[in-house]
Order: sequence, then structure tokens, then C-alpha cells
Amino acid sequence: MTLGVGRGPTVSALLWLVLVTVVPLGRLLAEGTVSLQLALFHERAVARAALTSLRVAAGASLVAAVLGAALAYALYLRRPPPGRSLLVFCSVLPLLVPPQVMALGWIQASGPASPLLLALGLAPSIGTPNPVYGLGGMILLLGVQGAPLVLLSVAGTLRRLPGEVVRAAEALGASPRQVLRRVLLPLLAPAVLSGAALAWIAALGNFGVGVLVGIPARRIVMTVLIWRRLTLGGPAALGEAAALSLLLAVMALPALAVQWWAARRSPTPGGTPFAPLSGGGGLSASLAMCLYLFAVLAIPLAALVSASLVPAVGMEISPATATLRNYAAALAPGAHTMQAIRNSVALSLGAAVLLASLALPIALTARLRPVRFAASASDLIYALPGTCTAIAVILVVLSVPGGLMLYGSLASILFAYLARFQALALRPVAAASARLDPMLDAAAQSLGATPLQRFIRIHAPLLAPAMTAGGILVALTAVNEVTVSSLLYGPGSQTLGVLVFTLQESGQSGQAAAVSVIALLLMSGLMAAATFAARRLPAGTLPWRP
Amino acid sequence: MHLTRRRLGTLASAAVLATPQLARARIEGTLVLYTSQLEPDAAGTVRAFERLHPGIKVEWIRGGTGQIMTRLRAEIAAGTPRPDVLLVADSLTFEGLKTEGRLRAVPEAKSGAVPADFLDKDRTYFGTKLITTGIMHHIRAPFVPTRWTDLLDPRARNQVAMPSPAVSGAAAIHVLATVQQPGLGWSYLERLAANGVQARGGNGPVMQAVAGAERAFGIVIDYLPIREAAKGAPVRFVVPEEGVSAITEPVGILSTARNVPAAIAFVEFLLSRPGQELASAQGFLPADPAVSPPAGFPDPKTIKIMPFDAARALREQEETLRRFAQLTGS
Repeated sequence: MTLGVGRGPTVSALLWLVLVTVVPLGRLLAEGTVSLQLALFHERAVARAALTSLRVAAGASLVAAVLGAALAYALYLRRPPPGRSLLVFCSVLPLLVPPQVMALGWIQASGPASPLLLALGLAPSIGTPNPVYGLGGMILLLGVQGAPLVLLSVAGTLRRLPGEVVRAAEALGASPRQVLRRVLLPLLAPAVLSGAALAWIAALGNFGVGVLVGIPARRIVMTVLIWRRLTLGGPAALGEAAALSLLLAVMALPALAVQWWAARRSPTPGGTPFAPLSGGGGLSASLAMCLYLFAVLAIPLAALVSASLVPAVGMEISPATATLRNYAAALAPGAHTMQAIRNSVALSLGAAVLLASLALPIALTARLRPVRFAASASDLIYALPGTCTAIAVILVVLSVPGGLMLYGSLASILFAYLARFQALALRPVAAASARLDPMLDAAAQSLGATPLQRFIRIHAPLLAPAMTAGGILVALTAVNEVTVSSLLYGPGSQTLGVLVFTLQESGQSGQAAAVSVIALLLMSGLMAAATFAARRLPAGTLPWRP
Repeated sequence: MHLTRRRLGTLASAAVLATPQLARARIEGTLVLYTSQLEPDAAGTVRAFERLHPGIKVEWIRGGTGQIMTRLRAEIAAGTPRPDVLLVADSLTFEGLKTEGRLRAVPEAKSGAVPADFLDKDRTYFGTKLITTGIMHHIRAPFVPTRWTDLLDPRARNQVAMPSPAVSGAAAIHVLATVQQPGLGWSYLERLAANGVQARGGNGPVMQAVAGAERAFGIVIDYLPIREAAKGAPVRFVVPEEGVSAITEPVGILSTARNVPAAIAFVEFLLSRPGQELASAQGFLPADPAVSPPAGFPDPKTIKIMPFDAARALREQEETLRRFAQLTGS
């Protein structure tokens, strides 16, 4: 194949990938292996945290698999329930709501000081610990958050599933139940497993829930342990943190293997698209889903809003007590909120634009072995927990002369986002570039167009929609990010995610709730903008339009 | 007393009027502040200071004294301490930094009407207010404690929260002071631990745990429960009969400070009349006796402070806090 795009894009793609992904990964691997015995120094605490993390990841992926499969069944396998597109949108929402905000909502919704329960007269008696705190709370929260991953994975497979399979089974006299059990279940099981594997990685790498729900119950997960070691030891504890994050990476490996296995069993599209089975789709299915969505979305949201309106912790919410004082404090000049919003928006948009633009040369040169190798490093970084990215970036930053000045700056957080989310921006562009008709390029070449001309006049315009999609995904993911920035922030570079957890950690729960509500509003604005920008893109581009 | 934006604004404009010479000598640049003040208080302080000095942009970060100090220690070890000014809980921390030569003596800094016993004699750090540690309880608590020993009551079993000395400077001083009290000492702390005290996080989470009714009692700094109770939180603050422990939340300039003029201006602002009035408006007992204490506080003259041997505390600090951490498993 001679889809030559010239030396410029190849060299820039390679240099870029080496800088943002290969170098950090290499540094982490080197430092982590050297310091492995350092981590073993605190053997018991490490073993305990590793076990807690594994239990949370296993529990959460199980919950996610069950919930996600049930959602997929009701939404896609049977006759579509009334209002399906709205139900799909709401089912995907838990994935987009920042987990630390969701955790805060649940903390506020339960426990003896819940403004809602107090108003209803249902609050538990004094001295009762909040039931959300603990292993069960972490598993449920992360399981609900992971369920959309399973749903989306199944929806993606269904888009490629040949409709002929179902028709053939029906022609042979199979009942819908038999089709489901004998045909669809074996075909969709890899998709469920693959989604559950994603939920495993998300739960393993989660920091916000570990801090807000785990610490009060003394359940320390690996990400929290690494954060503690780093905040208590600074750069001196970096070797140990590197070793611990390598351990965390190893714990993610089984999930990576499952995903790899599932990807190879993905069906090849047939002539007719998959059509839902007959039956189902009644009001009862919609009602059950509405109940579920009410429980996982409306309750924590209502609790969050009421907590943000309460004048002081422990008071009940009523029209007489409600106040906007927490919002005033959050938005007062001198408070960190506006700065955090600016930082988060600038970081996410900056990363989105840079990564989407650089995805173009990478996608076009992805046939070359060195580029493909370097791009797989970006896949690996994205698949590993965010803590690994953060530690890797700290290691790289500190090994540059004068790098300590960068430590804690916005630039270091941006670097980490670039490393972390390159794969996210690349995927849609790579998929679209694989579908490009090589004849176009050949025709332009025969007319004497130089590689640069073809790059600008043919490839860039054709791939622009996919680049937009990649950029949107990056912006939406990065704006809520807390795991990476909690390890990298310094004076003046707090992100929204970091602000919510520092406020809650220092006991300012009313203000934390107010900032969370502001963050949710910001997120909805971004989603609306993305929906508008992506209205002509194919289905599956935006997570809430599978 | 409610801290409203209008009130803050009045205070700040009063500050401009009160110190015209400061406002005229325009100091500029970025000032990096590390503080253990809670987020809204630090934001209010920074805002009032920036209004007074529009040329100065304060970049600040907050954390428990323990967290801030480990961050600073790490930066010092790496050769690039970032802050110009440090505003953390207790003078012991500053004494440690002073002996290492990490603080800048600023005899030229004007200390307003703040009494001399709040100030380091070599002028390397300056106490800004009085923060005492006493007992708070939920209004639905099984009984109202009046003495420290009341927390050993069986009805307080697993019902007492306190901040971790590893995070909170006030809690560290409180443990050191308790150890020195003849009637309390280690035997008290051991019985407190046996009664299920939970030492976790900073003072904010303790306030939240008690106001949130997860625990009935808390060992906590005074202004949090007093201020929140004024807003309607279901908590009360008690000064125990044996006395309270106290810190002065000193401010100091690092020897490595980059923007010394701005740092001095910040110190002078905190000690000045408007700075002290701001502290009072935020709910702290001001260091300046002429500034009236915030509403809801017991009369400062009636508050009994447990005697405290600072030299002994400095010697015993490390060993005491390690032993306490083992005791409470924190």
C-alpha cells in the first residue's frame, strides 16, 4: 500500500507519541522496578490496600455486568420501550457524572444528618455511621458508574451483529427465548465481559470514591495509598509511589486480557442490521427502568442540591432554612471555584484541541510499524489507572533540569492529560481513516499533488468530523478528572475535581455540594454543546447516543 | 456574627482608609501562601488582602498543618521551597523552622496592637489569633460534658471524634498539652483510646461528624462549632473545667521568600486593626485585645488555658505523637 503522506506527518507523529507516551511509560517502568523493594517495606499496608482494591474492582465489575446487561436487554434486545432515546441517555449519564460528585450525593442522601431524611423524619439515630461509607458503598457506586460501560459495549456489538443470525434461528422455529439463550447470549457474552473489564479498570483506578467513601470507613484502596504516600513524602517517596503504581498496573492486566480476547470474538457485520426480538417493550419495562434511573440519578442529585442549600451541616432542609450562602461562598472573589473552573476548562479544551489535531498524522501513518508500536503505548496508558499516568509524568518532569518548577503547575497537568487521553482522541480518527478510499489519494497524486497538499486538501477535511468526535470525548473526560490532578496540583492549579474533594475532606460539605452542582451545570453545558457539534456524526460517536 | 460580603467589603474599605501609606506604596507581584486555614476563611483573608494591595496576586494552597508541612519539607529537600509566607496552626512548627534557619527575621514589620507574648522575640513569626481546643457536642447527645474526663463516660463510648495530630497542628498541640497536665496525662489518653476515640483528618471532618450526628462528641477547635451553631447547626461548644489548649496561628516569612515586600505587607495586614477585625468577623478570637471577640464566644478573660511548657513539648513532640498514633491506630 502506498498511501504516502510524506515524511513530515510521520516524523511528527512518531516524535509526539514518543514524547507523551513512550517516555513516561518507560520512566515509570524503570523507576518502579528499581524501587520494588521500597514498596515491600510497608508490606502489610500495601497488601491490605491491594486486596481492598481487588475486592472493590471485582464487586463493581460484577454489579456493572448485571446492571448493564439488564439495561441492554430491556433497551435493545426486546421491542423498544416507549421513550427509548431518553432512557438510553439517562442510562449512560452515571458514566458522565463525576464519580466524586455521585459519591457526595449518596453521602448526603443517607446517614443521620441527611437533610432529606431529616425533613422526612427518617434520619437514623445519633451515633450511627453513614451506611454509604465502606466496601459495599464503594462497590455499588462504582458498579452503577460502570454499568453504562457494559451497556455501551453490548450496544456496539449489536450494531455489528448480522441480523441474518436471528432470522435463520427464527426460520428454524426457535422461540424468542431460545434465540436469546442459544444465539444471542453466546454472541453477546464477550461484549458483556469486555464492558465488565472496562468497569474493573475504572473501579481499580478510581480515586474520588476511594477518598470520600473509603477513607471514613478506613478502607484504603491502592489509589488512595499512593496519593497518601506522595502527599506525606513528596518527591522523596516517588520511587515507592512508582513501585505501587506498577503494582496497580499489574492488577489491571487481567481486564486487559479479557478485552483483547473479547475484541477478537467481535462479530463481522452482515447484510441486514440486527432487529429486536418480539415481546417485551411494555410499560412495565419502562417503569422498572425509570425506577432504577430515579434511584441512581434523582436521589443523589436531590440530596446534593439540598445539601448545597442547607445553611449548616446537620440542619434539615425546608423553604425556611434554604439559603444560597454556600454558592455565595463558593463564588466569592478569592475563593478557588472560578479559578478551578477556568483551569479545568482550559486544560480539557487545550488537551482536546491538541490531541484531536495530532490524531490526524498518527492515524494516517498508523500503517508504519514504529508508529503503530508507539500508538499502542498510548493505548496502554489509557487502559492503565490514572494514578500510573500521574506518577509517570511526575518522574519525567522531575528528570528534566529545572523540572521541579514545573511540578504542581498547570503545564504538568496538561502533559499528563495529553499522555492519558491520546488514545481516546485517536480511536475515532483511526477508525475513520481506515475507511478512507485510497483511490482519492491516488487520484490526487496522479494530478501532481504533493504529500502536504494531499494532507491538507484531502485527509484533513475528510477526517475532520472524526477529529471533532475525538476532541469531544477528551474534553468531556478531562473536565471532571480528579485522579491525575490530585497528584499533580499545586498553588493556583487546582482543578474542579480536586476542589470538590479538598472541600469535602476539610469538612466544608455544604460548599463542596455547591461546587459539585456548579460542576454538573458546566458538564451539562459541555454535553449540550457537544450534542450540537456532533449532530451529523454517525451513531456511537457520542457515548449518550449509542 | 454573620460574615457577609458586605461586611467584608466594609472591613476592606476601612482598611484602605486606615492605612493610606500602605495603599500608596504600591507593592506588586505574586505572593505564594501556604496555609492551614479552612478554604472559605483563607479565601476571605486573601480577598481582603488583595483588595488592600491590588498589585499583589496571592496564589495559595490549603491543607492540614501536617499536610502543608510535609509538602514544604519535600520542597525544601528538593531545593525549591515555593511559598513566601506560611500561615499554619502552631508556634512549635515555626520554632522548628526557625532553628533550621528557614525563617526570615523581619524586625521592620509593624505588629499593630498585638501583645508581645503572641510574637517571637526574634521577629521570625507572629501569632495572629487565639484558637482553643475544647469539647463540642451534638444537641441530641446523651449528656452535656463539662470536663475532659466526661469523655471517658460509658455513654461516650465510640462517640468521640477528634482530629489526627498528623494532620491538624491544633490537635498535635492538644495532645502535647494533655500529656503535660497532672490530672490527665498519658493515663487519660490511654483511657480515651480505650473508650473508642476516633482520630481522623482535620478539624473540619470532626465538626462534620458531630454536626452530622455520626458522633455525639468532638474534641475540636472553638470557632467551628461556635460559628456553625450561630448559623443553626445542632452543636454546642464547651470550655472544659480543666481548661483548653491553645494555638496562635502564627504567620512567618520563609528565608527563601521571593517577594519579601509583599510577604511583609501580608504579615502587617494580619496584625493590623483591620486584619484583626477580619479575624473576629470570621469567628476567631483576635490577638489584639482592643478588638471585640465574635459573638457566641465566652469572655476571653474567663477562658482557662492549660499551662504548656513549649520547650518540653518541642523535645517530646516526635515521640509523643508517635505513641499517640499507635494508641489510636491513626
